[in-house]
Amino acid sequence: MSSAVDDDLWSAVGDPTRRRMLDLLLAEGSGTATSLSAQLPVTRQAVAKHLAVLDRVGLVHATPSGRERVYRVDDAQLARAVAQLSAVGATWDARLRRIKRIAEAIERSRTQ
Amino acid sequence: MEFGTLERRIHIDASPDVVFEVISRPEHIEEWWADEASLGEPAPGVVGELVWGDREHVATMTVVDADPPRRFSFRWVAPEGEPAAPGNSLLVTFELSPSRGGTLLLLTETGFREKGWEIAVLEEQYRDHENGWDAFLPRLASYAGGLVPR
Repeated sequence: MSSAVDDDLWSAVGDPTRRRMLDLLLAEGSGTATSLSAQLPVTRQAVAKHLAVLDRVGLVHATPSGRERVYRVDDAQLARAVAQLSAVGATWDARLRRIKRIAEAIERSRTQ
Repeated sequence: MEFGTLERRIHIDASPDVVFEVISRPEHIEEWWADEASLGEPAPGVVGELVWGDREHVATMTVVDADPPRRFSFRWVAPEGEPAAPGNSLLVTFELSPSRGGTLLLLTETGFREKGWEIAVLEEQYRDHENGWDAFLPRLASYAGGLVPR
């Protein structure tokens, strides 16, 4: 079912705070633990930990800037995560669409 | 249960009898789900098998309830070698009702929490299926749409 999904990548985006952080980074282009924590109901320390998780799976990259590290989203890795998550999320929807198509084809062939 | 149930509704322009056949017969299950499916006459306790690829992924399905053409339910993804039961598997239920000359199909899949999966996976399974990631995924999707896959 989810065998094709990279477990670490999956876990990294499985957390709502981390998804919100990715969302903010996408919207603003870049961010630091300080700038992100100002917009989230979590401490700067917690944000830094979440950023480390995202960094480990390659979803964000950091560049040092003075005392802070500036984070940006990695385009390619994000595209990969999106593709995997969309595939898994769409499974029942896709199955139901196929069930509908098959049943309607049978119905048409029987009523002709 | 906060993350207990996934629910979907779909209208199908076919009679409940036809829809019941499609959801419960292995030759049709092979068309909409697994590469290979084996399942006897659907009745409570009957165990079937779903196979993907060259047996790369194999899942058992255990029929819980079969009441043609109204209801078909089964458990799947139980750990290998264990009989499917509440707490170790997902319960999928199809409920069919006549509607506008066709069928209204209600699908539920429950048991995410009982199965005790990793919290992140559990949450992701549920959120992703249920809410489509509300604000996050639409933005990601439009963003990813502009990227060239490698």
